Amino acid sequence: MLIGLLAGVLSGFLGVGGGILMVPALVLLFRFPQSAAHATSLAAIVPIGLAGGISFAVAGEVAYLPALVLSTTSIAGAVLGARLMARIPERSLQGLFGAALLLAAVRLAL
Amino acid sequence: VTALEAVATALFGALAGILSGLLGVGGGIVMVPYLGLALGLDQHVAEGTSLLVIVPTAMAGVLAHARRGRVDWRTGRLLGILGVFGAIAGAQVALVVPPTVLRRVFAGFLVLIGIRFLRRSLSPSKDVGAPAGE
Repeated sequence: MLIGLLAGVLSGFLGVGGGILMVPALVLLFRFPQSAAHATSLAAIVPIGLAGGISFAVAGEVAYLPALVLSTTSIAGAVLGARLMARIPERSLQGLFGAALLLAAVRLAL
Repeated sequence: VTALEAVATALFGALAGILSGLLGVGGGIVMVPYLGLALGLDQHVAEGTSLLVIVPTAMAGVLAHARRGRVDWRTGRLLGILGVFGAIAGAQVALVVPPTVLRRVFAGFLVLIGIRFLRRSLSPSKDVGAPAGE
């Protein structure tokens, strides 16, 4: 369960949710099916994002207007994404996640 | 804020949300660069803003998944509780340290894991895991 701690550090450090660490851990170490790993990762992301977000907010490092606009559409997007999952086979979901990790790597390295 | 920025921001929110709900991530990986590069926010502000957006986004996603019985709450709770401590620590570090080196190391790690997922997705015989909760 060190994974949770690591995901949190990464999340607070880089401003991301930590899912790029938790999903691989759940699939590769805990043998979760891809879909369950994605769903469970989101459950953990809620408190992690909250803790990180509050830390930044306390330091005054938050832009509230963009946050509000982004949240409005991202909530609808998340529900759509969750629905979309039912139409995607596990294997394709794995491929999509792998591709997303590679893109994330490129973005982090730059 | 110009009209164009508002529309672009709304579109990026939707993109981040879809990625989040579908891939089980927060969406910060697309929001942080957008906020920094397109809106010109300082790196720290971009990260803090992204984290705030992640909260309602992940909440909406996890509720939608829970209705379909995909969430392992016990594991999610455990990861979340530990993650909270990590997130607070990580944020304190991020607020004082430039993250370049750690980012590069982590990028290398993601490439390895990413390739592994792509290979699993393409291999004909590998198991894709047992159902959650079993």
